[in-house]
Amino acid sequence: MNSKEQILRRIAAAHSPEISYPAFDFTPQHFADPAATFAERLEAAGGRAVWADGQPLDEWIRRLYPEARRIASTLSEVTLTTINPDETEDPRTLCDVDLGIVRGSFAVAENGAVWIPQTIRHKALYFGATALMIVIPRDAVVDTMHEAMARPEVCEDDFGYGCFMSGPSKTADIEQALVFGAHGPMSVTVVLQ
Amino acid sequence: MSTHSKAAAQFVADAARTTWHDGALWAVRAKRDRMAQSVPEWEALRSAASEIKRHTLSHLGHYLTTFERQATANGIQVHWAVDADEMNRIVGELVARHGGRHLIKSKSMLSEECGLTPYLEARGIEAVESDLGERIMQLMHRPPSHIVLPAIAVKREEVGTLFEREWHTEPGNSDPTYLTHAARKNLRTKFLGADIAMTGVNFAIAEAGAFAVCTNEGNADLGTSFPDLHIAIMGLEKVIPDYRALGVFTRLLARSATGQPVTTYTSLYRKPAPGKQIHVIIVDNGRTETLADTAHRNMLKCLRCGACMNTCPVYRRSGGYSYSYFIPGPLGINLGMLRSPASYHGNVSACSLCYSCSAVCPARIDLGEQIYAWRQEMDLSGHADKYKKFAAKSIQFALSDPERFRSAVIAGRLAQRLPHGLLNNRFNPWYGSGREMPRFAPRTFRELWQAGEIRAAFPSAPASAPGENGPTAPQNHPTNK
Repeated sequence: MNSKEQILRRIAAAHSPEISYPAFDFTPQHFADPAATFAERLEAAGGRAVWADGQPLDEWIRRLYPEARRIASTLSEVTLTTINPDETEDPRTLCDVDLGIVRGSFAVAENGAVWIPQTIRHKALYFGATALMIVIPRDAVVDTMHEAMARPEVCEDDFGYGCFMSGPSKTADIEQALVFGAHGPMSVTVVLQ
Repeated sequence: MSTHSKAAAQFVADAARTTWHDGALWAVRAKRDRMAQSVPEWEALRSAASEIKRHTLSHLGHYLTTFERQATANGIQVHWAVDADEMNRIVGELVARHGGRHLIKSKSMLSEECGLTPYLEARGIEAVESDLGERIMQLMHRPPSHIVLPAIAVKREEVGTLFEREWHTEPGNSDPTYLTHAARKNLRTKFLGADIAMTGVNFAIAEAGAFAVCTNEGNADLGTSFPDLHIAIMGLEKVIPDYRALGVFTRLLARSATGQPVTTYTSLYRKPAPGKQIHVIIVDNGRTETLADTAHRNMLKCLRCGACMNTCPVYRRSGGYSYSYFIPGPLGINLGMLRSPASYHGNVSACSLCYSCSAVCPARIDLGEQIYAWRQEMDLSGHADKYKKFAAKSIQFALSDPERFRSAVIAGRLAQRLPHGLLNNRFNPWYGSGREMPRFAPRTFRELWQAGEIRAAFPSAPASAPGENGPTAPQNHPTNK
């Protein structure tokens, strides 16, 4: 008997009583202005949301990250790009680029998170860039994680890797003092376009 | 005295550190409360989480095989390990077959449980912890003292000294931002030089054949970004049915753990990237025994959020190292007893039965009630403390008869007239723990009642005297459901 069979046999022998999948008998919270709540909670998580308001992304990059020199993106509308991450063989070279500009598919109001299904060759850019700009459609904001999990981008699409990202990387492991930039981006801006 | 009390004496000897530890964890509990209160359906969410977990446990074989089938279809390779030895062996074989000596790992309680890091190190494989708190503990050669906040018992000055020794940071600089960024810089080389990535699993989604890993630092994600082998290890209770269930758990986990609405990163691994491999090891290591234990099966609902530790008055004031099991607090008391009552029963007394842990658990595990149950079971298995048992029997003897009770009060009054040092000395465990013996009231309630003084002070009091109607029925044990 192999280990799998052994484990399954032990589970069957445990005879835990039949319990049915629960009906969710509650109404999840709803926000009057989900986009505003998203912006507020993203800020609480150390990030920032901006409405593109017809301004090109290049403008936002110049305004928010004027110091950035090494800029990696596959977005064709960004002309300030200096690195095409998809033409990079070794993902290690994407570590510590100044700014990455990537696409996300929707935002979650209750926690300031953005769903980013991996659409670029190396996910290293999402975590290795010193600053990250995530571009999402301006109307794509859901209230809670219940709605988020029911979105086709999560439960139907054939993604390999995806991440709900809420603000910059952070830690409080030294005496509970909050510090941004533990390992991942020090700064995160979500652009609602 | 229990093993916990003895070990705690060392922690509480540093009063400033104890006070800081207590306050820091209480602040996390307060943040958790604010988060819970900001979600109107919070209690319904906890119920849903509990019911989903119970449902999953009642169909565990089905969901584990569904997960395996779906994950395999996605190109993930699934392994099964009956115990710690088998898990370690599988990891060792995967590493040997792949080649390479540098493994970067994110936090996993299962790896601590199975002693994976020492196993790998004995085979010449470097396993570097990438979570900052875990890395601090690894460099200090000490285990984590909390499952979510591994370095909560370490002061910033100690981290400063450690980093100065390891990485030549500025002498005397213990600023958390400075130290965190020094660790970021140093760990970069470990991330970039790793051959193999290892993560735990927060949730394995059966219908999707995918698994979720939750971190704040992004260390798991960065760690899996470079090596072409990713090994993920999971206890078999980590499986959940579907994305719908994941929606419930992701709303509860971080709010309960650290008082954040969600972890910074909730990452879903569904298919390996082209040319790369993902292996998932499903581990039993005693969990199916817990599943068969009707009194303690509920422990398998645990999300490992640590809320029970943050709220526990005993944990906050005694620290993680006072517990003999590697997981401390109410969770660790229970898991230790499930592992081995003979080895870990000393932790069962580290509980005031306040049941605050049960009140905050996002999966509604009755942690406190189970500790109470362990105390009853310990008597049957012969692990009860014989002195406490004698004391309890004596009290029972004195209280079960009114005449004996009155005689005991008289004896107590006489005893407190004895010279101070005769009662309050190191042979008295109560005094030995830094407490004065309580004083008896000058007159008992009964004496006041018989003198008519109660009736005079409270004219509306009932007419019958205490004890005249026989003993009152014992109150039910407090519960917190």
